[in-house]
Amino acid sequence: MNLDDRKWKIVQRHLGYSDDDIAQSFNSVYSRPGKLIQSGLFATLLIWAAIFWLLFSFIAPKVEASEPEQLTVALTGKYPPFSFYDQDGELTGFDVDVSRGVAQELGLDIKIIATEWDGILAGLLSGKFDAIIGSMAITAEREKQVDFSRPYYVSGAQLFVNAENDTEIGSINDLAGRRVGAVLGETFEHYLTEKHPKIETVTYKSTVDIYQDMLNGRLDGFVTDRLVGGYQIQSAKMPFRPAGPLLYREQMGIPMAPGHPILLARINQALEALESSGFMADLHRKWFGPVAADNAAVRSGEMSNRTIALMLLEGFGVTIGIACLSLLCGFLLAVPAGVVLHGKPSPLLLIVRTTVDFVRGTPVLIQLFFVYFGAPQIGLTISPVTSAIITLSINGAAYMAEVVRSGLMAVPPGQKLAARALGLSHFKVFRFVVWPQAFRIAIPALVNSSVALLKDTALVSVISVAEVVRQAQSIISVTYNPMKFYFIVALMFFVFTYPLMKFAGRWEKALKKRGYADD
Amino acid sequence: MIKVTGLEFTYPDGTTALADISIDLSFDDDEHITAIVGPSGSGKTTLLQCLARFLTPGQGSIEIDGIPAISMSEAQFRSKVGVVFQNLNLFPHLNVLDNLTLAPVEVAGMDKGDAEREAMEMLERVGVSNLVRSYPSQLSGGQAQRVAIARALVLKPDFLLLDEPTSALDINTTNALAELLEDLHSSTNFIIVTHDIPFVRKVAKRAVLIQGGRVVSHDLVEKVMHLFLQQNENR
Repeated sequence: MNLDDRKWKIVQRHLGYSDDDIAQSFNSVYSRPGKLIQSGLFATLLIWAAIFWLLFSFIAPKVEASEPEQLTVALTGKYPPFSFYDQDGELTGFDVDVSRGVAQELGLDIKIIATEWDGILAGLLSGKFDAIIGSMAITAEREKQVDFSRPYYVSGAQLFVNAENDTEIGSINDLAGRRVGAVLGETFEHYLTEKHPKIETVTYKSTVDIYQDMLNGRLDGFVTDRLVGGYQIQSAKMPFRPAGPLLYREQMGIPMAPGHPILLARINQALEALESSGFMADLHRKWFGPVAADNAAVRSGEMSNRTIALMLLEGFGVTIGIACLSLLCGFLLAVPAGVVLHGKPSPLLLIVRTTVDFVRGTPVLIQLFFVYFGAPQIGLTISPVTSAIITLSINGAAYMAEVVRSGLMAVPPGQKLAARALGLSHFKVFRFVVWPQAFRIAIPALVNSSVALLKDTALVSVISVAEVVRQAQSIISVTYNPMKFYFIVALMFFVFTYPLMKFAGRWEKALKKRGYADD
Repeated sequence: MIKVTGLEFTYPDGTTALADISIDLSFDDDEHITAIVGPSGSGKTTLLQCLARFLTPGQGSIEIDGIPAISMSEAQFRSKVGVVFQNLNLFPHLNVLDNLTLAPVEVAGMDKGDAEREAMEMLERVGVSNLVRSYPSQLSGGQAQRVAIARALVLKPDFLLLDEPTSALDINTTNALAELLEDLHSSTNFIIVTHDIPFVRKVAKRAVLIQGGRVVSHDLVEKVMHLFLQQNENR
């Protein structure tokens, strides 16, 4: 019995399937990985990556595949039991153990990056990490972009429905015209849209969100990995049951960016070694065996309050840090930009005007991806946090430049004239008379920009910065309580933004009282 | 002495504000206030802005004590000619004392302490020394005007241009202003642009009447006023 088959037996045992069931699912339409259409966002990112590649390939000399001293792998950290955060807030799970095992076999240090699933391939292609050990199914479509290792485990797609309400649903065919959930970018989503067009497929960021909508009655069912679904339902005590046979079988591999044949070969060797040494079998027992649910390290749904508080506070620290640095850099950029915008027409004004309009007219999320995935294309290796600060600084600068401009406009021209009449030079007129007034006038709007920027930091979670929203998502992936933790995060933001907004209001009143900009 | 010769000014929109202005404004100990009067749209404000070098005339020249204004550096010119604006333009973010010391410190490079001492003296002379720490928004119209005059005078200009100084004042403060200008005459001569005839009668000995961008009369106040009133009646 080869190893795949042995693992498959374990899967079967765990799922309670007979060989006939499996055979049936093999003969079904999806027994082989078919052609898959990537999700819109993902495709966009790839197009961007391609554009960047074309634009900058002549600038950045192509680095020959060299062997890293450290193996950097990516996974989501939101896919229990394959990857999730344990009670102490540490990454753990089947994929995490596999990553460590592989690194050990290779004799390399391991660095594990938790990132969003819908940007994970783009991250791999832009060199953010060496490989993805995150339960990625091997598909023909993906194989066009990346090189996969040999499969390291096998699972399959399973429909789950509400155990109490939907006893009449026997298989996927009973769900035509109903709403079925899947995680955006996962193969299950493509399977549903392609093979079951009559079903309304609803996409989510993570299975946690799917469970919530199942409980809310917004979904009639969902398709996910049989192992994951079974594990999560059991550990989170969710009232769902599998319906029908496996929809199709999936082989999970480790994708790498093309052009690293040596590393690929070594990883394959490592996987083989792990299989023959019984390491993989042990892992299966640990995570999916009969005792798995009793294993303290595995048990989900629990996290100590202290860990939660620490994770949230740490995350909020990162949030505030990013916001403050971005504000500072943004403001320093905004002042000269605002002065140029307020000035006489010139080529410089045209450039600044266009840049400001472009930044203001495009989504921050896209700008974030642009910087995060684009920087490596021009040979810049910047961390997610740096990418976030650069993006938010530029974005904040664009908005604040407009505020500075209108502040300057609100200073009566007579002020400038009076200062000139006293003999002040152009610079001193600006420094001592125009700017202090413009700044005071601009303060309420600047504070509002700061509030907006602080809130925009929440988007940074998509490029795997461990700020407060991402920390909350990690906590939710274990505790399954999105309402509670998103509310806490909202409160954390509000505690900061509310005094700022109050301050802006008071300042505005004080300005009127002190006779600014009203004549 | 300010000598204006053949001054012409046309705005970018084609309106000719000053057609041909030639006047000699000379002052002595006895006569340190000259008024420039004229109806609205006569060009008197444009003339003031040319005299203050905020506008550059298309034709003609302005000489300050024999030196063409155009050849003077900005610092040199501003030390000779001061301006008090119609709406005063006090700096709202600075208190009265800082309004007065900004230019002495930043332009003349004066020590901050010296500048404050001189500013205090000047505020005493104009009678508002109790307001040093106040902000412009806390001042009455008359007080603000005295501060504006003091701000111009701390730089010790030879000539001070006042644009419609009485436009925002009631009759009592106008009279007080007239007395103040009388008291202040020392090294500074005043050129007052206004259409407030009673005020001109009170403070000035000679006046220039401008109409349609031309000098109609430059004479003793009574004669000019007579002419001005006559012309206004004829219109």
